[in-house]
Amino acid sequence: MTDLIGNLALGMSVALSLKNLALCFLGCLIGTLVGVLPGVGPIATITMLLPITFGIDPIGALIMLAGIYYGAQYGGSTTAILVNIPGEATSVVTTLDGHQMAKQGRAGIALGIAAIGSFIAGSVATIVIAALAVPLTAMALLFGPADYFSLMVLGLMFAVVLARGSVARAIAIILVGILLSTIGTDLESGEERLTFGWTEIADGLDVAVIAMGMFGFAEILRNLETTQTRDVVHAAIGRLLPNMQDMKQSAAPIARGTLLGSLLGLLPGNGAVLGPFASYTLEKKLAQDPSRFGRGAIEGVAGPESANNAGAQTAFIPLLTLGIPPNAVMALMVGAMTIHGIVPGPQIMTKQPQLFWGMIASMWLGNLMLLVINLPLIGLWVRFLKVPYRLMFPSIVLLCCIGIYSINNSPTEVIMTAAFGLFGYALVKFGFEPAPLLLGFVLGRLMEEKLRQALVISRGSFMTFVERPLSGGLLLVSLVILVIAILPTIRQSREQVFKEAD
Amino acid sequence: MAETRGILKSPLDVGGGLFLIGIAIVGFAGGFKLPFGQLSGIGSGLMPKTVAVLVAAFGVLLLVQGLFVTGDRLEAWAIRGPIFVLSGVLVFAATIRPWGLVVAGPLAVIVSALADRESRPTELAVLAVVLTMLCGLLFKELLNLPIPFDPAGLIPDPVFRAYLGVKSGIGQAFTALRAIVGR
Repeated sequence: MTDLIGNLALGMSVALSLKNLALCFLGCLIGTLVGVLPGVGPIATITMLLPITFGIDPIGALIMLAGIYYGAQYGGSTTAILVNIPGEATSVVTTLDGHQMAKQGRAGIALGIAAIGSFIAGSVATIVIAALAVPLTAMALLFGPADYFSLMVLGLMFAVVLARGSVARAIAIILVGILLSTIGTDLESGEERLTFGWTEIADGLDVAVIAMGMFGFAEILRNLETTQTRDVVHAAIGRLLPNMQDMKQSAAPIARGTLLGSLLGLLPGNGAVLGPFASYTLEKKLAQDPSRFGRGAIEGVAGPESANNAGAQTAFIPLLTLGIPPNAVMALMVGAMTIHGIVPGPQIMTKQPQLFWGMIASMWLGNLMLLVINLPLIGLWVRFLKVPYRLMFPSIVLLCCIGIYSINNSPTEVIMTAAFGLFGYALVKFGFEPAPLLLGFVLGRLMEEKLRQALVISRGSFMTFVERPLSGGLLLVSLVILVIAILPTIRQSREQVFKEAD
Repeated sequence: MAETRGILKSPLDVGGGLFLIGIAIVGFAGGFKLPFGQLSGIGSGLMPKTVAVLVAAFGVLLLVQGLFVTGDRLEAWAIRGPIFVLSGVLVFAATIRPWGLVVAGPLAVIVSALADRESRPTELAVLAVVLTMLCGLLFKELLNLPIPFDPAGLIPDPVFRAYLGVKSGIGQAFTALRAIVGR
């Protein structure tokens, strides 16, 4: 306990420096700004803004990137409430009751309760991260290569189960991601793999190139197809602060949402995305009058928003302690960290405690800033929402181009990004979801490395994956998850969950 | 859903299956010569080839499923959007080195904007100029990224001098800010 306080104090001392405060603030602000724009999710936002952090030292850069990340999450909810377009997958649920509240002239209250819920959830999640970081890092040191491999298998299985559409399609798309990860020079033998003699990709593909293509450009192509009828709320935003009765109604949902979200966010394999759905379903079940849901029930905003924010933050835990990104956004964070010369994993905490705890402390400060800066600035965000898409997408294209070019000063990478834009568009047209591909891409490299190490240690026996208790257990859980996902009854209810979300 | 279909019960699944098989073939071909190695020291070819075969297997699965189980149709592809947006990106890539952001910026904005039928010329011209200037100031001057702005000296002299004035003003303000923030 004293350790925890000591660590957080160290973190605060780093995060509270004027420079880091400014960077955190800037990150939150820019993140919110881009997150508010419909059609630009956190993945595209982070890639686009990655170059902004180049001139900054690693601690400041990560603090800013984290700020951009949860700022974008936050901005997504604002859009969900005011325009009825989910800024990203996790704010889908917020559109249900949030937008109804806005139509009834209670937009301000919805935004207010979302902000307050998110702040409480963020604070709790920060403490959860701080408390779990030390034991999990210690556990990570017990992990051998075989265990790491199996853990990643488990993470990918979760990603399969949580992806939309059929299980076969989800597995297939993850495999395509892994296949992409083998492109480039083989680290052990030095042989060029899958490059077809093209030297430009001898170093492998950059995760930012794939992310920007599939989530920046492909997203624009899809948005252009549907003429968005943007249902921006015209009624006044109204009072922002919820009254006592609103608070009373929301207190329990916020608490439950925070708990659910924190737990689900810990799961390897995008558990965070489940949080809002789980919370919404739970609140609807617990409500005395479930028919109010979908017609502007404040619990339907408070619970899922808290779960969303809690999960978004605890999703950092697998990345920071085990070095395994649990979802596509965190996969991109790996790329960002690599650019700044940081290898994610258990060694961060022991070797660079300032960076580790500073980042965690800044998360709490960032949440506080979001609460303070966003509510008064809501008028500004609304004005952003009114910018027509025909002006917005060329701007996004330019920012993406500059972003990608700046990463390696390479026009070729800009061209590759365009190719991945087309590839991502094709994926969607053939009914595949792009996010698991990115996760497979980042985990693919790690998995191959760990597979090789494990087999060298076991002298070529595959039994090592089953015989080691940790690895065997993880594989067993993966198998159970897969079987459950394929079972017909579960499959139906899974489809229902996603249908409800649409 | 009950409507009768031709031989393809689910064009979406058949298309998806063929797409996967295509990816797998390219992947397998690219890793064809790589050694498999032994289990105790696996070669560089094991992972790509195994994964490519698995991708192909799932492709076949989807393909077969699409032939027998009724499912969704393929969505139509838009032509205008992809052509102009991606051309905009390619034009940026082609012009950024020789002429810099002064040319690449407006071109990327204008070409990609053509993807939308509703874009208006004047509005677009203003957007292109303003965005390019803002990006130049932000990325080049404030953030010091090595992105070429006007390497060919295309900006006429008086404009350039005015720009330099603005730049130095902003530079000074930024230096002052940095001093305050302590970096």
